[in-house]
Amino acid sequence: MTNEIAVSVRGLGLTYTTAIDRRPTLKARVKSLGRGGKQTRVIRALDEVNLDVTYGQVLGIIGSNGAGKSSLMRVIAGILPPSQGRIEVYGSVSTLLALGVGFNPSMSGRDNVYLGGLAAGMSRDEIDSHFEEIADFSELGEAIDAPMRTYSSGMYARLAFSVAATVRPDILIVDEALSTGDAKFKEKSLNRIKELRSDDRALILVSHAMATLEDVCNDVAWLHKGKLVQRGEPKVVINAYREFLQVGKSAAIDEDV
Amino acid sequence: MQVYEPFRAGLPPLRRYWKSLWSRRTFISEYSRSELREQHFDSAFGQLWLVLNPLLLSAVYFLLIVIISGSSNSTRYAHLTATLFLFYLVANSLTGGVKSITAGQRLILNTAFPRIMLPVSAVVIAIFKFLPTLAVFLVIRTVIGLPFSWQMLWAIPVLLITMLLALGLAVTISCINVYFRDISSFLPYMTRTLLYLSPILYEASDLKPQLRTLELFNPLFPILDSWSRALVHGQAPLTSHMLIGLGWAVGIFLIGTYFFLSREREFAVRL
Repeated sequence: MTNEIAVSVRGLGLTYTTAIDRRPTLKARVKSLGRGGKQTRVIRALDEVNLDVTYGQVLGIIGSNGAGKSSLMRVIAGILPPSQGRIEVYGSVSTLLALGVGFNPSMSGRDNVYLGGLAAGMSRDEIDSHFEEIADFSELGEAIDAPMRTYSSGMYARLAFSVAATVRPDILIVDEALSTGDAKFKEKSLNRIKELRSDDRALILVSHAMATLEDVCNDVAWLHKGKLVQRGEPKVVINAYREFLQVGKSAAIDEDV
Repeated sequence: MQVYEPFRAGLPPLRRYWKSLWSRRTFISEYSRSELREQHFDSAFGQLWLVLNPLLLSAVYFLLIVIISGSSNSTRYAHLTATLFLFYLVANSLTGGVKSITAGQRLILNTAFPRIMLPVSAVVIAIFKFLPTLAVFLVIRTVIGLPFSWQMLWAIPVLLITMLLALGLAVTISCINVYFRDISSFLPYMTRTLLYLSPILYEASDLKPQLRTLELFNPLFPILDSWSRALVHGQAPLTSHMLIGLGWAVGIFLIGTYFFLSREREFAVRL
């Protein structure tokens, strides 16, 4: 393992305001005018998180729902600006977050791969050179040229994973995308992750599949309610987390369960 | 190395934003191309529909003019088509732009990029849809037998002003739609009102003096009048109209872009 830093997170805090309604409307706002009801909610997603990821590291992130795992990934990827602290990222980042590719379902898988790549800052030639491999890996066959609204959720996930894992970034962030697809593809994507492990790459995996993380990671961080609880040897941290979950279940300490 | 730090309210560093936007210009062209392809505008029939739709519309409105005013002539028809086609450039930018951010949710939640790319693409698509109708207008004009003159070149700056205005409006409304998702349902009423307030079904000079104040509130009024003077009548537009139109376009563009840029960093948590 080299000790060159890939991602450095210092004193990261993230607070944001979001709409309570999933679909805020002017109509609803006007109707609630006299009543003074609240339209937004302040969410404290991350609090004083310090985290260094070095090249060669495969970092697993665990924690219950709402622990801030996805928020942390979005901040590292530059999608959400932090409220406090400082994040330094050394190298190209490829992200496979909750939603993956496919921003326009009426366009074909091929168009979506190109648009996603271009938006991420890749050049046409770069995407051209990777496209064959992406299509092969996803095993979509002819479907790659069909509109994405005709895809099943498994096909979506397969294409998304193929894009993120094929471009060979310096830093790859995968958020809960290992557990999608059928058993065969799951194994295939896990093997790809293992292939991608190398001294000049950093991988950050968010997952609830503890056994998988124990298998591929050489480092695990445990987040709870926006705070970093423990970080270290996969076995140790995962066991601590499992124990915590057991206790939580019986004693109802963790209200998120 | 990329550094992410807390941002203060207001604009992001503009130079870096522009660099990042410019490096992704192929996204804008690729997006417009796939969008047009998806709507079948790359085929002959698709192109035909693109032209047929505004032509039918102008025929219907011409019928309305003839019935209401009792008489009409070919210049009137040329005025109607010319201004209606330009109006649809703005209207299509608005309808395409309004949902550009909310529809790009997956991309916004997964990738860091200058969000303004999305409404800009919507305007580029509207411009691609406008170009064939401009060609059709020039054919109509020739068939009717209106004389050509050098003054028609004034149409170029008028078109540039219109594009800037369309861009400003699309950027503004795409941002508003993030906070109020029902703006897109109000949009048809807004564009319809704008259509009647603009010198399309009538000429600017026909407007009753007591209604003149209406033109002060409509950015399209001076622009469409200048467009008609240049393209239909082959005259130089009024300097005052060109300046007012430019003022509106620059103003809306600057305010809308400021509004958008100072808020785009929180779009990811608002979607």
